[in-house]
Amino acid sequence: MTDDTRKGETDCCPTLGTRELALGYGERKVINGLTVEIPPGKVTAIVGPNGCGKSTLLAGLARILAPRSGAVLLDGRDINTLATREVAHKLALLPQDASAPDGLTVEELIQFGRQPYRSLMRQWSPKDAEIVQAALHATQLQALADRPLDALSGGQRQRAWIAMTVAQDTPLLLLDEPTSALDLGHQIEVLELVRELSRKGKTVVMVIHDLPSACRYADHLIAMHQGEIIAEGRPADIVTEALVERLYGVRCTLLHEPGTGAPLIVNPVSIRHTPE
Amino acid sequence: MKTPSSSSSYVPRGHWLLQPLGISLLVSRRGLAAALVLLAMALMVSIGSLTVGTPTLSPAEVLAAAIGKGDPFNVFMLQELRMPRLAAGLLSGAALGVGGCLLQTLARNRLATPGIIGIDDGATAFAVASIVAIPTSLAPPMLALLGASTAAALAFGLGGGGARGYRFIVVGIAVGALFGALTNFMLARTSIDAANLAYPWTVGSLNARAPSTVIVLAVCLLLCLPVAKILGRQLQLLRFSDAVAIGLGTNVRRTRLTILVVTVLLTATAVAVAGPVGLISLVAPEMARHLTGHRGVPIINSALAGALLMTAADWVGRTAFAPVEIPVGVITAIVGGPYLLWILLREPRTPGT
Repeated sequence: MTDDTRKGETDCCPTLGTRELALGYGERKVINGLTVEIPPGKVTAIVGPNGCGKSTLLAGLARILAPRSGAVLLDGRDINTLATREVAHKLALLPQDASAPDGLTVEELIQFGRQPYRSLMRQWSPKDAEIVQAALHATQLQALADRPLDALSGGQRQRAWIAMTVAQDTPLLLLDEPTSALDLGHQIEVLELVRELSRKGKTVVMVIHDLPSACRYADHLIAMHQGEIIAEGRPADIVTEALVERLYGVRCTLLHEPGTGAPLIVNPVSIRHTPE
Repeated sequence: MKTPSSSSSYVPRGHWLLQPLGISLLVSRRGLAAALVLLAMALMVSIGSLTVGTPTLSPAEVLAAAIGKGDPFNVFMLQELRMPRLAAGLLSGAALGVGGCLLQTLARNRLATPGIIGIDDGATAFAVASIVAIPTSLAPPMLALLGASTAAALAFGLGGGGARGYRFIVVGIAVGALFGALTNFMLARTSIDAANLAYPWTVGSLNARAPSTVIVLAVCLLLCLPVAKILGRQLQLLRFSDAVAIGLGTNVRRTRLTILVVTVLLTATAVAVAGPVGLISLVAPEMARHLTGHRGVPIINSALAGALLMTAADWVGRTAFAPVEIPVGVITAIVGGPYLLWILLREPRTPGT
């Protein structure tokens, strides 16, 4: 009665998108009039060069950053008019700068994922316990449950944070650069977990630096450049040599990975520093 | 390594789950034990401060006098002097303890207590001004509240509108210094009589406070303590980064504002009763966390620790060098400083608050 019943309870595939969204910090406009739909039930990767606005877009989608104009639409309703607690039932976020109080253990962190469901009169329920255990299990952290977060490796810590968002039991999951600062092995570990979660029915949106990883693990790619979406679609369909050049200023040859068909970048040469 | 729990972690480790009347409450075992210890100690100190003194009464005499029986002098002594003083100490200590705990959590910094941010100094400066410089018809608690609000607004506003990191604290220290200087300036410029009248405001003392200020404090505490307790969970989330807290459904801005308002109310009304005994707001939450463990935000235990520290310090100040009375603020500085150092130095790792 664990996985299936729970999946049945969450609304199937809430939609997330933006309408003419403008975002910025202070004087600086980062995104201006962006409209996008996140495909439900899939892994969407937002890629682009540094400063292209991909993390800003994710912050907007997660209501961390209030729009200058336009709106983020969750199930067709403006996310900033909804109670933030209600939003937290549908949408979980793992920010890039996630920091926790010192000494917190893995299990305690995961328990915080149940926060949106707890209240003064209902502080803990068997369902909370069950979901925390399920999150520990899904992220294979059972053996580390009592370890303090600061005693974990980078990959384990990232898994613990993802476990917290899993415990939030939301159909939507937003991850901001979940693999940055991780070595190859830990990157793969985290990305496989993301794929696994998507197979269980979650809609995942992640900002990711590494284009090859994005191609390999995402069903849908959003390529951003200077605050605008310049390409969108299946990685195999949209990633071309021309796109790579436009995004990163890198001339390259694209090969296709055997098996998955994901585009692979070889022979990259920067065109920024070479004289014309 | 401990085995991963499957059945025992039905309830979060270290907690009891109480389920009366269809609601479910999580009670931290260590928190409850700490509360009982603090309560017992506060009770002992209370009994002590009611009995010991000139004259020293037996507990039976205290009880009799409390209900108006026995020697009329004892009745007067107890009902007019010792009991109001004890109440003032317990309440102001509790308020300062909670205020300290809230502001520390808000700023995610243990240094950020109302005393250090200048809220105490603001309250004092305004109250002293009303005595020596600008006569008004406003009651001291109102003025203290005005001053505390002004100081908090200045620290918060000039600190960049946020309460994070050192900027808020440094600005707060500057604001406090400014109000402190203002207080000293006013005292230096005024007549000796007026300065004497204002003196208790500047050192922290439970001596001869108007009963009305104590009642105001009691009402304020009665209103603010449940609010602080209800905010408890959200407070825990403020210890994470903002994005995490928002992601978990916390209205960060509203929570912060509520904390700030509650802190200012508690601190101002406490300062109106006891003067700027700023160290209580630093030491009490530290003591509560020390006893409770570093995981949560110990609101109730900070209140209990504050009440205990304040009454204990006052009792010592009143009796140790009798008949000379040492102001409670001086005692808290003498005892609280080293105690704080001891806690900080013996801790293997710094808790994140």
